[in-house]
Amino acid sequence: MLTGQPGWSWKSDFLLGGTPLTLLLDAVSAFFLVLLSTVAAAGSIYAIRYWPDSTHPRTAPSGRLWWNAMITGMGLVLTAANGLHFLLGWELFAVSAYFLVSLERGNPQVRAAGWLYLAASHVGTLALFAFFASLAAQTGSWELGPMRDNVELAPLFWLAFLGFGIKAGVFPLHVWLPSAHANAPSHVSALLSGVALKIGIYGLVRFSGWLPTPPGAGWVMAGLGCTSAVLGVAFALGQHDLKRLLAYHSVENIGIILMGLGFATVALERDTPYWGTLALAGGLLHVWNHGLFKSLLFFGAGAVLHATGTRQMSRLGGLWRHMPWTAALFTLGSVAISGLPPLNGFVSEWLIYSGLLLAGMEWNDVAMAVIPAAVLLAVTGALALACFTKVCGVVFLGAPRSAPAERAHECGWGMRGAMLMLAAGCTLIGLFPAMFWQVLSRVAKDWSAVDMSSRAPDALYTLGLTHVALAVLGLAAGVGTIWFLRNRVRRSVTWDCGFSAPSARMQYTAGSFAGIINEWFAWILRPTVHEIRPTTFFPSAAQCASHTPETVLEHVVEPVGHKILRLADKASGFQHGRVQSYIFYLCVAILVLSAAAILSGRS
Amino acid sequence: MEVLDILARLLVWLVLAPLLPGIINKVKAWVACRQGPPVLQLYFDLARLWSKGVVMSTMASPGFLIAPAVAWVAVVAAAMLMPLGRAGCIFSFDGDVLLLVYLLALARFSTAWGAMETGSAFEGMGAAREVSFAVLAEIGIITAILTLALESGSISLASMFTPPPGPGAALLAVGLFIILLAENCRVPFDDPNTHLELTMIHEVMVLDHSGPPFALILHGAAVKMMLFSALLVQAVLPLAHMPLGLSLAAMAGGIVLVVVAVGLVESLTARLAFRRVPLLLTIGFLFCLFPLLLTWMEGVL
Repeated sequence: MLTGQPGWSWKSDFLLGGTPLTLLLDAVSAFFLVLLSTVAAAGSIYAIRYWPDSTHPRTAPSGRLWWNAMITGMGLVLTAANGLHFLLGWELFAVSAYFLVSLERGNPQVRAAGWLYLAASHVGTLALFAFFASLAAQTGSWELGPMRDNVELAPLFWLAFLGFGIKAGVFPLHVWLPSAHANAPSHVSALLSGVALKIGIYGLVRFSGWLPTPPGAGWVMAGLGCTSAVLGVAFALGQHDLKRLLAYHSVENIGIILMGLGFATVALERDTPYWGTLALAGGLLHVWNHGLFKSLLFFGAGAVLHATGTRQMSRLGGLWRHMPWTAALFTLGSVAISGLPPLNGFVSEWLIYSGLLLAGMEWNDVAMAVIPAAVLLAVTGALALACFTKVCGVVFLGAPRSAPAERAHECGWGMRGAMLMLAAGCTLIGLFPAMFWQVLSRVAKDWSAVDMSSRAPDALYTLGLTHVALAVLGLAAGVGTIWFLRNRVRRSVTWDCGFSAPSARMQYTAGSFAGIINEWFAWILRPTVHEIRPTTFFPSAAQCASHTPETVLEHVVEPVGHKILRLADKASGFQHGRVQSYIFYLCVAILVLSAAAILSGRS
Repeated sequence: MEVLDILARLLVWLVLAPLLPGIINKVKAWVACRQGPPVLQLYFDLARLWSKGVVMSTMASPGFLIAPAVAWVAVVAAAMLMPLGRAGCIFSFDGDVLLLVYLLALARFSTAWGAMETGSAFEGMGAAREVSFAVLAEIGIITAILTLALESGSISLASMFTPPPGPGAALLAVGLFIILLAENCRVPFDDPNTHLELTMIHEVMVLDHSGPPFALILHGAAVKMMLFSALLVQAVLPLAHMPLGLSLAAMAGGIVLVVVAVGLVESLTARLAFRRVPLLLTIGFLFCLFPLLLTWMEGVL
């Protein structure tokens, strides 16, 4: 489909839920299906060694069942051209994801994460039920397809935005995301972050293309995209749990994707000028890119967890010695996610940036909005770089901070192979970006008949060439240095300012590394610090521990939830089992109803 | 011809860059009525370091040696993207200015990675400061780039530098100068001379480096200094419209002027308290923002 074949569709003879099963595969579906198959294949290989029957006799078989159910569900969502079956696939994938997240149900933290995920996911599903039901009510059929001319359908977009936005983890709808990603087994986290979030993005892309969009939809997407991007990475910096940190980076990257797609939607209302196609191409390409490098990073985090048994960065360190492959591949993923040349993250960010800068020269309302957006994208990039130097440095470099980190072991070839596959994908897109332009132009066409030239802009070719040159030179410089210095290196202790008994615990920690930036974002991070300060001239014990909560969850969702529960408690006072009172309620209700009937009849 | 052109530019960047720290030190010595080290001191240092061996921390991986090399390649590649007045660039494409900014970010990532290799708290501290303050510097740089892009209607370095004379250019010069000081770790952000690790940013990141990798770090820092000076000069003076000889001379003169100013700032002010650093960077950002607003007003009217 992505190479230019015509679309494929299939309609069943039998009825499922009263309507024939309709599958439709066009470039948009195919684009997301490619990502699904890549990450799912890598995850399946990875899981053979990561979650084997020998160590997880109870959960490994059921894990495989739910894994496949989830992939099937996502596949159905991507190909369904019928609202009812879309919802069936959606629910199948949402519920199997719940069972996958809570594979280790013995741990109360995992149970809480699973429960939160299930609740949030169902709020989203509820919105989607409302969306598809009102769509069916207004069009008279569950069939889906392009209906941009039917302008009355535009307000339904907001329902879809809520439903898909929760799944995609857009700030502030991301509350379920960090704990679910952190507590799931790592191959599941990779699938959740790399693909499941993109199913939410798929929904947004699909229905902003098929349905008319209300005015302002693009602005809201772009605005929330900027918010997600900056705050996602700010929250990530405050985390001490490796997988939780990566989960927050998903919020950031979904934000970058939305930034591209949002401005593309804005451009759509203006007949998509050139800058709009660049933003669209960047947003779409970032879907693939994030899927690749984030899965790679989660696999790397899984290998660390497998080898050391902890996700706490303050207990890791010095892992490169025992896990050189994981360290190297994780670093490659870090370079990619920080949007640094010559890897794929930079290509998509560069496309979005170029789109924004060109839009800035239009001297209109769009131009006014893209200037802050470009600045925020720069902030996001710089913060992501800060975050990943912290992760790489604290986890893989320096000295081991705990005994398990000292005894770590490299992961098996199965896990390494899965990571290598994704790393190769990141490099390929980074070095030869122009190869993928045609795919993007077909997706754009099927999205909303955007006419993107099938030849990549010249700048993209040149960027690719520069990346190749840079990669070759960088490699040559690295290899050359090692060769040049092969006989000239002497080992000695780290210079420690004359301190005589250094300990691994004196290293800079993840918390202190992010301290400066955390302070800037304290207004939203609300970090809590418990410390016992050293006292007297000969202090004996001192302690400092900091923790960054999920602010939206703990300061917004939970208080509101508690208020609702309290109200419900009060209301339950009416239900006490005295028949006399129930008869009294009935009488009052009948009186009110008849009064209402009489009053409305009079007017 | 093309190959000769590339080689000539490479020579200009690689050979001339180490002059700048020498000039700065001479200016500082002159203000303090000292004789000071010779202008060519850095060349001697580089030659000496190049022939020395390397002492490497027992904790460090081979990445400790590779990181400076990668950082150096990134900085030099960024420099090769920069046009030289009327002589223009070797090649350019729309959006190469973003590549330049992100190549510098790649260099930062490598340097910070190398710093974390040693497991020393000092170097961790330096890396943390470097990447944190870079966030604010990046805001300023992107704003300056937006200004230049809006002024010229282009996002390619070859045609971006067409500054109109006026208050905007002066404001942009001040903004870029502040960012230059921060990005190149000069006073008042950082003190390249101090040996008290707790007050340093960049120097403390490279405490454990020695021998040829350290030479690469020093040389890369000089190239970066020249890169930022060239950016500043071209963002203010319309060099692309002058005759070739004059534009190159003006550029060289401008770069020398910038580094003399750096030397003067270094002699006359003290390093800022760390808490004030974000404040000064924000001021730098504002100096870049005002010309953007000025350009905007002119463009809309």
